[in-house]
Amino acid sequence: MLQIENTLSTIVMLLYFAAMILYFLFIAFKRDSFSRVAILLQIIGFVLHTIALICRGIGAGRLPLTNQYEFATSFAWGLCLVSLIFVLRFHFPVLGAFAAPLVFVIIGYAAMQSKEVHELMPALRSNWLGFHVSTAIIAYGSFGVSFVLSIIFLLRDRMKEKGFLDQHIPNREKLDVISYRSVSLGLLFLTFTIVTGAIWAERAWGSYWSWDPKETWSLVTWLVYAAYLHLRLRRGWQGKSAAIFAVVGFVCVMFTYLGVNTFLPGIHSYA
Amino acid sequence: MSSIKKIWKFLSSMRFAILLLVILAGACSAASFITQGQSYTWYAQHYSERTAALILALHLDDAFHSWWFLLIALFLCLNLLFCNIIRFPQIRQRVKAQSSPPKNSTAAFSAQDITDPDAVFQHLHMSPSRGSDENGCEVLYASKNSIGLWGAWVCHLGILFLIAGFSLGQITQQQASVYGIAGQTKPVGDTGLILTIDDFRIGLREDDTVEQYTADLTVGDPAKGTVQSATVSVNHPATLLGWKFYQNSTGWAEQITVTENGEPLQAELLCAGEYLRISDKPDLVIYFNAFYPDYVFVPGSGPKTVSGHLNNPATLYTVYYQDQILGMNVLIGEEELTIDEYTVIFSEPRNYTLIQAKKDSFTWLAFLGGFVTVIGLLLAFYVQPAKVWAIKEGSGSWAVHGSAKSGILFQEKFLAAARAGGAGKEINHAAD
Repeated sequence: MLQIENTLSTIVMLLYFAAMILYFLFIAFKRDSFSRVAILLQIIGFVLHTIALICRGIGAGRLPLTNQYEFATSFAWGLCLVSLIFVLRFHFPVLGAFAAPLVFVIIGYAAMQSKEVHELMPALRSNWLGFHVSTAIIAYGSFGVSFVLSIIFLLRDRMKEKGFLDQHIPNREKLDVISYRSVSLGLLFLTFTIVTGAIWAERAWGSYWSWDPKETWSLVTWLVYAAYLHLRLRRGWQGKSAAIFAVVGFVCVMFTYLGVNTFLPGIHSYA
Repeated sequence: MSSIKKIWKFLSSMRFAILLLVILAGACSAASFITQGQSYTWYAQHYSERTAALILALHLDDAFHSWWFLLIALFLCLNLLFCNIIRFPQIRQRVKAQSSPPKNSTAAFSAQDITDPDAVFQHLHMSPSRGSDENGCEVLYASKNSIGLWGAWVCHLGILFLIAGFSLGQITQQQASVYGIAGQTKPVGDTGLILTIDDFRIGLREDDTVEQYTADLTVGDPAKGTVQSATVSVNHPATLLGWKFYQNSTGWAEQITVTENGEPLQAELLCAGEYLRISDKPDLVIYFNAFYPDYVFVPGSGPKTVSGHLNNPATLYTVYYQDQILGMNVLIGEEELTIDEYTVIFSEPRNYTLIQAKKDSFTWLAFLGGFVTVIGLLLAFYVQPAKVWAIKEGSGSWAVHGSAKSGILFQEKFLAAARAGGAGKEINHAAD
C-alpha cells in the first residue's frame, strides 16, 4: 500500500505541476482551452491524491495526519479541494492559476519530508486526532484560497490587460465577497480545530488550554481573522485594506504551521 | 452626550473590539517568543541583564497571567457583553421586520416591469405572503434564514461563556500530582484523598515502541470512608470521588541502598530526578539523574539507551557535598559507588507512573462556550438572511426589491429570478 502511495504521490506532483504550467499558459496566451485542461488535470490530481492518502492510511493502519509529511501533503490536498470548489463554484480559473503554485510548493515541501511510517505515541492515539487535524486542513486550505484571492485583488488594478481580466476575474466587489467567503469557511473550521483540540488536550494532558506555542499561534490566527471580519464591516475597510489583512492572516497561518515547529517547540512538537 | 454614555458607547463599539483583537493577537504572539516562567538569572543568561529586567518589569515572564493581559481580556468581555446587550433589541426588531410587510425597507437591488412576481419567488425558493405597503399598494413579500441574523450575537455569547469558563476554572481549579510504583499508597497533595497504584503497565509493540501506559488506581477518602477504583491510560482519564485522574507520564525508579562500613544505613525507592541525603551526614547528597535500561555512550552526544529492555542497565548519578558537585558518573550493571565509608547501590529498576489529579468545575462552561461559538459562526456564515418583496405598480406590472446579507452573491440569484419573472429592465443596484 505504501508503495502504491509513493507512486501515486509522484504522479500527483506531476499532475499538479502540469496543471500549474497550463494555468500559466492560459494567462499568457489568453486561451480558455488551457484553463479547462488545467482544471481537468487538477481534478484528476486531486482524485489520485485522495487515493494516495487512503493508501497511506491503510498502509499505516491509522489516519495519515500525524507527522510533517502527512500534514504537508494533507494541507496541499485541502488547499487543492477548497481552490477547486471556489474555481468551479464561481467560474474563476484565474484563482486556479494563482492557487496551483501554492499547492505545488506545499506538496513539494511534503516530498522533502521523511515518508517513514512511525507508530503513534500514546497521546496521539485518540479519535479526536481525525477531527482536530482534518478540520485544520480545511481551515488552512480556505485561508490559502483567501490569501490567493487577496493577491489577485491587489494585483487586479495593476494589470494592464483589462479585456481579458474583465472576462475572467470577478469585479472588485465580488472578489472581496469571495475572499470573505473563504475566510469565513477557514475561521469556522479553525474554530472547530481549536475546540476539538481543547477537548482532546483535556483528555490527554488534563488541561484543555496550556498556552503552548501552537495553541497560542492558532489563537493569534483566529484573532487576526476575527479582526478582518470586523474590519470589513467598517466603512472604507472593504477591498484593499481587507485584502492586506487577509494576507497578514495567512502569514500567521504559515507561522502557526511551520514557524512554531521551527522556532517555538512545545508539546505540539510532533505536529 | 454624558461621559457615562460616551464610555458606554466606546466600550461597546466595534472600533474598540478591533483594537482589542489586534492588541490581544500582538500580546499573544510576543509572549510566545519569550520562554515563560523563568527566573531573572535565566533571562539574563539567555538575553541580557537589561532585557531580563524589562521582561520581569512587564511581567512577560508570565504574560498570560499578568495584570495587563487579564485587563485586555476583561475589556474584551465587557465589549462583548455591552455589544450583545445593545444589539439584542436591534436584532429582535430586524428579525421581526424580516417577516413583516416591507415598511421603509431599504432595497439593495431592484427590478422593474416584472410580469410574473410569483415566478421570481419560486425561483428563489421563497413562499410569499400578501399585504400592503405604507402607501396601500399591494405587496408580495418573503424572507428566509432570519435566524442567521442572530449568528454574530450567538458567537459573541459563546466567546463570553468560553472566557468565563476558562477564567473561573483557572481561579477555582485544584490539582495535584502523585508518582510512584505499583503497590505504593500516597496522599494526593493536600486534597485529603489517598491514592493506591494497584498496577502500572507499559504496553509495547513488536517494534519496541510504546503503545499505551496504563495504571490501575484505587482512591480513598479516609474522612468519608469512601473508596473507588478505576483504570486510567493516556487519553482515557477516570473520575473518582469527584476528581479526574490522568495517566500523565512515566520514568524509571530504583531502590537505593546505603551502607556505612558494611553496615546497612538507609534504603529508599528513588525516582529519576530525586535525591537522597545521607542520614548521618546530611551535607552528602546522591542525586539520581537518569536510568538507561540499554546503555550506550555516544561520543559527542553522551549517554543514551538503545531500547527499553534491561539489556545493559546503567545509572547516571551526581554526588554533592555541601552543595558542591563532588563528581558525576555512570554505574553500569551492579557496580557500586563508594564515597569514604559509604557504599551506595542502585538496584531493582522499574517504571514509576505520574498520575495527575484535577478538579475543574467549569470545564463544561468553557466547552459549552466553544460549542455555542461554532453554532454562532455557522449561523453567521451559512444561514444568510434575505428578504424579497414585490410591489404592484400603477401600470399593473410589479417592481421587485431585495436585500440580503450575502450581497452581490444573492444579487446574482435575484437577477436570474427577476429574468424568470419577466424583468423588462436591468437590475438596479442600490449603490449605483
